Amino acid sequence: MSASNEQAGSASGAVSPVSRPMNIAATLAICTGGLLVPGLAHILIGRWIRGIIFAVCILAMFALGLAMHGKLYDFQFTEPLQFFAFIANIGAGIPYWIAERLGWGIGTMTWPSYDYGTTFLWVCGLLNYLIVLDAFDIAQGRKP
Amino acid sequence: MIVSHFVALLIFALIVSTVFALITKNEPREQFRYGVFVFLSFLAVAFAVGWIMYPLPL
Repeated sequence: MSASNEQAGSASGAVSPVSRPMNIAATLAICTGGLLVPGLAHILIGRWIRGIIFAVCILAMFALGLAMHGKLYDFQFTEPLQFFAFIANIGAGIPYWIAERLGWGIGTMTWPSYDYGTTFLWVCGLLNYLIVLDAFDIAQGRKP
Repeated sequence: MIVSHFVALLIFALIVSTVFALITKNEPREQFRYGVFVFLSFLAVAFAVGWIMYPLPL
Protein backbone atom coordinates (compact mmCIF):
# COMPACT_ATOMS: atom_id res chain seq x y z
CA MET A 1 0.00 0.00 0.00
CA SER A 2 1.39 3.37 -0.98
CA ALA A 3 1.75 6.26 1.42
CA SER A 4 -1.08 8.18 -0.21
CA ASN A 5 -3.39 5.20 0.08
CA GLU A 6 -2.49 4.75 3.72
CA GLN A 7 -3.41 8.36 4.24
CA ALA A 8 -6.65 7.91 2.41
CA GLY A 9 -7.53 4.93 4.55
CA SER A 10 -6.91 6.78 7.78
CA ALA A 11 -9.70 7.97 10.00
CA SER A 12 -8.86 11.65 9.62
CA GLY A 13 -11.23 12.12 6.70
CA ALA A 14 -9.51 15.35 5.68
CA VAL A 15 -7.39 13.91 2.90
CA SER A 16 -7.58 14.31 -0.84
CA PRO A 17 -9.72 11.87 -2.82
CA VAL A 18 -8.16 8.54 -3.72
CA SER A 19 -6.66 8.48 -7.20
CA ARG A 20 -5.03 5.02 -7.20
CA PRO A 21 -6.60 1.71 -6.20
CA MET A 22 -6.39 1.05 -2.49
CA ASN A 23 -5.37 -2.14 -0.79
CA ILE A 24 -8.31 -4.55 -0.86
CA ALA A 25 -8.13 -5.08 2.91
CA ALA A 26 -8.31 -1.34 3.53
CA THR A 27 -11.14 -1.07 1.03
CA LEU A 28 -13.13 -3.79 2.78
CA ALA A 29 -12.49 -2.19 6.15
CA ILE A 30 -13.75 1.13 4.82
CA CYS A 31 -16.82 -0.53 3.31
CA THR A 32 -17.54 -2.25 6.62
CA GLY A 33 -17.38 1.15 8.30
CA GLY A 34 -19.79 2.47 5.69
CA LEU A 35 -22.19 -0.38 6.34
CA LEU A 36 -22.16 0.33 10.05
CA VAL A 37 -22.34 4.11 9.86
CA PRO A 38 -23.98 5.55 6.73
CA GLY A 39 -21.66 7.91 4.85
CA LEU A 40 -18.56 6.92 6.82
CA ALA A 41 -16.97 5.09 3.87
CA HIS A 42 -16.94 8.21 1.70
CA ILE A 43 -15.63 10.30 4.58
CA LEU A 44 -12.77 7.85 5.12
CA ILE A 45 -11.70 7.98 1.47
CA GLY A 46 -11.70 11.75 1.48
CA ARG A 47 -15.08 12.45 -0.11
CA TRP A 48 -16.30 14.04 3.09
CA ILE A 49 -18.90 16.40 1.59
CA ARG A 50 -20.51 13.53 -0.28
CA GLY A 51 -20.25 11.39 2.84
CA ILE A 52 -21.97 13.98 5.00
CA ILE A 53 -24.79 14.36 2.45
CA PHE A 54 -25.23 10.59 2.36
CA ALA A 55 -25.23 10.39 6.14
CA VAL A 56 -27.86 13.13 6.43
CA CYS A 57 -30.04 11.50 3.76
CA ILE A 58 -29.89 8.00 5.22
CA LEU A 59 -30.26 9.02 8.85
CA ALA A 60 -33.10 11.43 8.03
CA MET A 61 -34.90 8.73 6.09
CA PHE A 62 -34.40 6.28 8.95
CA ALA A 63 -35.66 8.76 11.56
CA LEU A 64 -38.65 9.69 9.41
CA GLY A 65 -39.46 6.02 8.94
CA LEU A 66 -39.51 5.51 12.68
CA ALA A 67 -41.49 8.71 13.22
CA MET A 68 -44.09 7.46 10.75
CA HIS A 69 -44.49 4.33 12.89
CA GLY A 70 -42.81 2.09 10.33
CA LYS A 71 -41.78 -1.44 11.22
CA LEU A 72 -38.25 -2.74 11.62
CA TYR A 73 -38.00 -6.42 10.80
CA ASP A 74 -35.79 -8.93 12.53
CA PHE A 75 -35.00 -12.42 11.31
CA GLN A 76 -37.39 -15.12 12.46
CA PHE A 77 -37.23 -18.73 11.37
CA THR A 78 -41.01 -18.98 11.61
CA GLU A 79 -41.40 -16.19 9.02
CA PRO A 80 -38.75 -16.89 6.36
CA LEU A 81 -40.04 -14.26 3.91
CA GLN A 82 -39.25 -11.58 6.49
CA PHE A 83 -35.61 -12.30 5.71
CA PHE A 84 -35.74 -9.95 2.72
CA ALA A 85 -37.18 -7.12 4.79
CA PHE A 86 -34.57 -7.86 7.44
CA ILE A 87 -31.76 -7.60 4.87
CA ALA A 88 -33.16 -4.28 3.69
CA ASN A 89 -33.45 -2.98 7.26
CA ILE A 90 -29.97 -3.94 8.44
CA GLY A 91 -28.47 -1.93 5.58
CA ALA A 92 -28.96 1.11 7.79
CA GLY A 93 -26.24 -0.24 10.07
CA ILE A 94 -25.82 0.83 13.68
CA PRO A 95 -29.01 2.94 13.72
CA TYR A 96 -30.96 -0.26 13.08
CA TRP A 97 -29.40 -2.05 16.05
CA ILE A 98 -29.88 0.98 18.31
CA ALA A 99 -33.53 1.27 17.33
CA GLU A 100 -34.02 -2.46 17.88
CA ARG A 101 -32.39 -2.31 21.30
CA LEU A 102 -34.55 0.65 22.31
CA GLY A 103 -37.69 -1.11 21.20
CA TRP A 104 -38.43 1.34 18.41
CA GLY A 105 -39.74 0.28 15.04
CA ILE A 106 -42.43 -1.99 16.39
CA GLY A 107 -44.77 -0.64 13.73
CA THR A 108 -48.33 0.43 14.27
CA MET A 109 -50.36 -1.03 11.43
CA THR A 110 -53.35 1.18 12.18
CA TRP A 111 -51.26 4.34 11.89
CA PRO A 112 -52.01 6.24 8.64
CA SER A 113 -48.37 6.50 7.61
CA TYR A 114 -47.36 2.96 8.65
CA ASP A 115 -46.77 1.78 5.08
CA TYR A 116 -44.75 4.84 4.19
CA GLY A 117 -42.68 4.52 7.34
CA THR A 118 -41.90 0.87 6.66
CA THR A 119 -40.95 1.72 3.07
CA PHE A 120 -38.69 4.53 4.26
CA LEU A 121 -36.93 2.10 6.60
CA TRP A 122 -36.42 -0.45 3.83
CA VAL A 123 -35.23 2.05 1.26
CA CYS A 124 -32.74 3.81 3.52
CA GLY A 125 -31.05 0.46 4.14
CA LEU A 126 -31.01 -0.42 0.45
CA LEU A 127 -29.65 3.00 -0.46
CA ASN A 128 -26.85 2.52 2.03
CA TYR A 129 -25.85 -0.67 0.22
CA LEU A 130 -25.59 1.34 -3.01
CA ILE A 131 -23.59 4.02 -1.23
CA VAL A 132 -21.12 1.44 0.09
CA LEU A 133 -20.74 -0.06 -3.40
CA ASP A 134 -20.03 3.44 -4.71
CA ALA A 135 -17.36 3.89 -2.04
CA PHE A 136 -15.90 0.50 -3.03
CA ASP A 137 -15.63 1.57 -6.67
CA ILE A 138 -13.99 4.86 -5.72
CA ALA A 139 -11.51 3.15 -3.40
CA GLN A 140 -10.63 0.63 -6.11
CA GLY A 141 -10.01 3.38 -8.63
CA ARG A 142 -12.90 2.36 -10.88
CA LYS A 143 -14.55 5.72 -10.47
CA PRO A 144 -13.10 9.24 -10.30
CA MET B 1 -45.94 11.86 13.02
CA ILE B 2 -48.66 11.96 10.39
CA VAL B 3 -47.85 13.21 6.93
CA SER B 4 -50.01 13.23 3.86
CA HIS B 5 -49.27 10.78 1.07
CA PHE B 6 -48.07 13.59 -1.14
CA VAL B 7 -45.66 15.00 1.44
CA ALA B 8 -44.30 11.52 2.11
CA LEU B 9 -43.82 11.10 -1.64
CA LEU B 10 -42.02 14.45 -1.87
CA ILE B 11 -39.63 13.57 0.97
CA PHE B 12 -39.00 10.11 -0.46
CA ALA B 13 -38.34 11.45 -3.95
CA LEU B 14 -36.06 14.20 -2.64
CA ILE B 15 -33.84 11.86 -0.63
CA VAL B 16 -33.67 9.09 -3.22
CA SER B 17 -32.99 11.48 -6.10
CA THR B 18 -30.21 13.15 -4.09
CA VAL B 19 -28.49 9.83 -3.42
CA PHE B 20 -28.95 8.60 -7.00
CA ALA B 21 -27.54 11.85 -8.41
CA LEU B 22 -24.47 11.74 -6.19
CA ILE B 23 -23.82 8.07 -6.93
CA THR B 24 -24.26 8.11 -10.68
CA LYS B 25 -22.78 11.47 -11.69
CA ASN B 26 -19.47 13.09 -10.89
CA GLU B 27 -19.74 16.73 -11.92
CA PRO B 28 -21.87 19.02 -9.71
CA ARG B 29 -23.81 20.37 -12.68
CA GLU B 30 -24.57 16.86 -13.94
CA GLN B 31 -25.54 15.79 -10.44
CA PHE B 32 -27.98 18.67 -10.11
CA ARG B 33 -29.58 18.07 -13.49
CA TYR B 34 -29.89 14.34 -12.95
CA GLY B 35 -31.22 14.83 -9.42
CA VAL B 36 -33.93 17.19 -10.65
CA PHE B 37 -34.78 14.77 -13.46
CA VAL B 38 -35.15 11.81 -11.07
CA PHE B 39 -37.14 13.89 -8.59
CA LEU B 40 -39.58 15.09 -11.24
CA SER B 41 -39.78 11.58 -12.70
CA PHE B 42 -40.82 10.21 -9.31
CA LEU B 43 -43.61 12.79 -9.11
CA ALA B 44 -44.73 12.29 -12.71
CA VAL B 45 -44.86 8.51 -12.41
CA ALA B 46 -46.74 8.73 -9.11
CA PHE B 47 -49.34 11.03 -10.63
CA ALA B 48 -49.62 8.88 -13.76
CA VAL B 49 -50.03 5.64 -11.82
CA GLY B 50 -52.50 7.35 -9.49
CA TRP B 51 -54.67 8.43 -12.39
CA ILE B 52 -54.42 5.02 -14.05
CA MET B 53 -55.57 3.38 -10.84
CA TYR B 54 -58.33 5.95 -10.23
CA PRO B 55 -61.08 4.21 -12.22
CA LEU B 56 -60.18 0.75 -10.94
CA PRO B 57 -62.58 -0.64 -8.36
CA LEU B 58 -60.01 -1.22 -5.60
